[in-house]
Amino acid sequence: MTPYKNVNSDNYTDTHWYSKLNFQFLAIIGLITLIALINFYSITQTPASPMVSVFWKQVLWIILGFLIFFILSAIDYQFFCRFSYFFYTVNVLALVAVLFVGQSSHGAQRWFDFGWFSYQPSETMKVALICVLASIFSKKSTQHIYGFKQIIWPLFLTVLPMALIVYQPDLGTALLIGIQGGTVALFLRMNRNLWIAFFALFIIFIPTLWTFVLKDYQKNRVLMFMSADKDPYGAGYNTIQSKIAIGSGQVFGKGFQQGTQAQLEFLPERHTDFVFSVLSEEHGFAGSLFTAAIFLILILKIFQISSESRDKMGAYVCLGALSIIFWHTIININMAIGLLPIVGVPLPILSYGGSNTITTFIALGLVSSVSIRRYLYS
Amino acid sequence: MLKPMSEFTRMDTELKTLSKRIHYAKYIFSVFFLIIAGRLWYLQIYKGPDLRRYSENNRLKKQILQAPRGLILSRDQKVLTNNYLELELFLTPQYSKNIEQVAKIISPIIETPYKELVQQIKKSAKERGQFFPISLKKQLNLKQVYHLRLLEETFPELNIKEYIVRFYPQKNQGVHLIGYTGQISKKQIEDLNQKFKGELHFKSGDIIGQNGLEQSFEKEIRGQDGLSFIEVDAHSRQVITQSEFPFDFKSEKPSSGHHLVLTIDSDVQEAAFQAMNRMDRIGPRNGSAIAMKTNGEIIAWVSSPGFDPNLFSHTLSDDYWKELKKNPDKPMLNKAIQNHYPPGSIIKPLLALAALQEELITAETLINSPSKIRIGRRTFHDHKQVGYGRINVLQAIEESSNTFFYQLGQQLGMDKMAEYYKAFGLGTSTQIHLSGEVSGFVPTTQWKEETLNEKWQGGEDLVHAIGQGYILATPIQALVAYNAIATNGKIVRPYAVQSIINSENKVIQKISSKVIKDLSEEIDPSHFETIKQGLVRVVHGSKGTARWWRIKNRLIAGKTGTSQVRSFNRENLYKDCRLKPLKDRNHGWFVAFAPADNPEVTVAVLTEHSCSGSVGSAPIARDILKAYFDKYPETKVSHHPEGKNHDSL
Repeated sequence: MTPYKNVNSDNYTDTHWYSKLNFQFLAIIGLITLIALINFYSITQTPASPMVSVFWKQVLWIILGFLIFFILSAIDYQFFCRFSYFFYTVNVLALVAVLFVGQSSHGAQRWFDFGWFSYQPSETMKVALICVLASIFSKKSTQHIYGFKQIIWPLFLTVLPMALIVYQPDLGTALLIGIQGGTVALFLRMNRNLWIAFFALFIIFIPTLWTFVLKDYQKNRVLMFMSADKDPYGAGYNTIQSKIAIGSGQVFGKGFQQGTQAQLEFLPERHTDFVFSVLSEEHGFAGSLFTAAIFLILILKIFQISSESRDKMGAYVCLGALSIIFWHTIININMAIGLLPIVGVPLPILSYGGSNTITTFIALGLVSSVSIRRYLYS
Repeated sequence: MLKPMSEFTRMDTELKTLSKRIHYAKYIFSVFFLIIAGRLWYLQIYKGPDLRRYSENNRLKKQILQAPRGLILSRDQKVLTNNYLELELFLTPQYSKNIEQVAKIISPIIETPYKELVQQIKKSAKERGQFFPISLKKQLNLKQVYHLRLLEETFPELNIKEYIVRFYPQKNQGVHLIGYTGQISKKQIEDLNQKFKGELHFKSGDIIGQNGLEQSFEKEIRGQDGLSFIEVDAHSRQVITQSEFPFDFKSEKPSSGHHLVLTIDSDVQEAAFQAMNRMDRIGPRNGSAIAMKTNGEIIAWVSSPGFDPNLFSHTLSDDYWKELKKNPDKPMLNKAIQNHYPPGSIIKPLLALAALQEELITAETLINSPSKIRIGRRTFHDHKQVGYGRINVLQAIEESSNTFFYQLGQQLGMDKMAEYYKAFGLGTSTQIHLSGEVSGFVPTTQWKEETLNEKWQGGEDLVHAIGQGYILATPIQALVAYNAIATNGKIVRPYAVQSIINSENKVIQKISSKVIKDLSEEIDPSHFETIKQGLVRVVHGSKGTARWWRIKNRLIAGKTGTSQVRSFNRENLYKDCRLKPLKDRNHGWFVAFAPADNPEVTVAVLTEHSCSGSVGSAPIARDILKAYFDKYPETKVSHHPEGKNHDSL
């Protein structure tokens, strides 16, 4: 046993960080990755139109993701929070730049094209926002209860990227960032007025969004969802096919690569929006419930890491990361099971996509970093 | 010894709250997963057997039901554009057991070579997917339908579907105004979805307006496609009724687009078309003939030569398309707005107005107008070799004296002239709602110095005084400018659609006339009256350049013009135009309005290479006016009624 030694946070380099890795946490992530790969293999090897390159690309993203996860685990999260304004500013500048030089697709400017991959700054913004909010919320000067005055600055920092993203336009991602910020704020000690304002804002928000922000086609999508018979754009068709896919899986599913809905391409966007539907069709209630449960365990684990963290900063970093993963999971699965309209939110790790996979692993890496540094002694 | 740091910091009240919050949050967040679990149970266990049966034995297919486009009607309720049904053969590779076999059987029926057919099917299956139906033959005839219907039973991959075809009963008459339809291109899908973002949705296979009003009013004419969800078995045959489907949803019927009621009068239009195709000494004219009520309602619109828009409703053969594109007479060009010409002598009344307003002359001022004028070393000729003697502005307009107007132009200078020409709308768009309008051109001395880096020559003032040189005008600009003379200075916006009605015959939008600019404040109304007198003499005077083209009991005010194709020199001026090669012959203009004392209609005719306005264009304008007055002997046109201007249209 090592002798008693008082270490401060900057002095970790001489110890082995990997020996303190949270293996339970890692195991959960490993299990989700395994499910993701099995499911993704099934999706991409359909005889009608195989997407082999898509499979290997996603494998590459996941490998890259783990690499990032371990790198972030090795670095003290306080480092990121200390430089959070720097990351945040760079991201905001990237969001501004993408409006001018970004790749446009379907009328939206969201990407920088770097040859074999494209970078979506709105994705990394999610992580930058976690760090910046964590560093603000953990400041000593704000030990007292939050009121209107104290909330203005973090509110501004959340709304600024939202506005830039709405301008792209990508309302979905902007809202997601808003929800993410709001979720973290729920853990603050706020005074009563602020709580009231908080919920009032939430209540006012929906009708305001409906009347002023949503375009007709977006309203249609929501209306269609509420009554599946009105659907000029085919999204209702997608929802119905997804529900058929999930339901037809019954208890134990149709078996690996046997999902007719997915394999015969009745299910559109099966490698992004509807990965969960494929999984549910092929592995049934057992498989879908198991997967949902693993995600719940991941969330609960992050909560645990958060409550065990050595400081407030660590706790808020975890809560921020949690909110990203939680809301992506909940929205994506609810889309697939027909409880939410199709808004194009990916399922962490399971859905195809570089930007979102990397963002997920960055978030998980930050949590791991917090988890490693929960002990004072070694 | 390992001990969590949190053990020591629990005392911190804040972390304490945080831990408490996290504790509760665990439960709240779990509820979301509980909902998911419940829903999964509902779908997979409760509805599971239903949905399993559904997915295994059946297929739900979405079908798009094509919506008919709205009709286009003339002001006198004649259908100018209609729809009818045709049949089309589709093949879906996914349901085919043996593509070669099917191809062999249908190849003689649809008269397509076997090899080509197989290639087409395989290519589409590879590129667009097995499930994508391929159109093999359109416009099936009855015999083909009979044979194919029998085959449909044994070959589930074959499918005969109805489709809507746009039909233009008037064929090439007015095609440039109405336009034509055709299948949307990949680029158009992107562009139009961008343009009508959130309003309309365009997808591959859509039929859209490609030109003219069909294009400009796409949003209004276009219907909304319907959807039907049918359940089909493995052979693509429909199996059960929709009510048995485990989720509640209905098909949506296609809704027809709105109908356009044009300001075009079918008889006047017919007359204009016939007049342009008249078989006289010159023969059918190339160019354009347009007529407008003085409030801006277009009543006739012909651009020649034309083409049959019905050919575009079907798949156009490449040969025909190439032929249209290569034709030197440019049949695809809407010459009333998409081509501009030197205005020639039709500019003279505008110059006369400028001279009167600038008090350079009065109606009575006599100016000696010889056969030629010398400026420096250049001589400027008149088309009358003996000169006119001392004449006033009325006589000058009647006989279209060049030397009279040379002198006005010389004294006013180009920039003053440009000011007036521009005031009458030359050099700017008329705001008509058709795409591709060119704006013509009015030069200024400054423009020449800046663009060509050359000083403006004194002689150029003279050239531009008779509408030659750099100045260019479209026929519709000429029409609008003369309409302004007719109405004492009102520049109106020409428009061709008077109302939009929905499929229940209810008017949903009325478009009324709009005065863009009123020149009566800048130019004294008495000057307009003077010019009108001159224009009447062009047709009714003993020496008028269009005196052969009168109508009984109607006073016509008009002006001929000759637009020089080649440089303006003495030889070119006096040589008999008919002896020159066609492409060197001058264009002829005639712009007129009637009745001169209370104008109702304005007409502008431009005939390409017809040598002169008086022979080439004036008879056409006369025919159009005659057709109008035959049909509307009594009507008085309403002058710019009070009401809301529809700027959006």
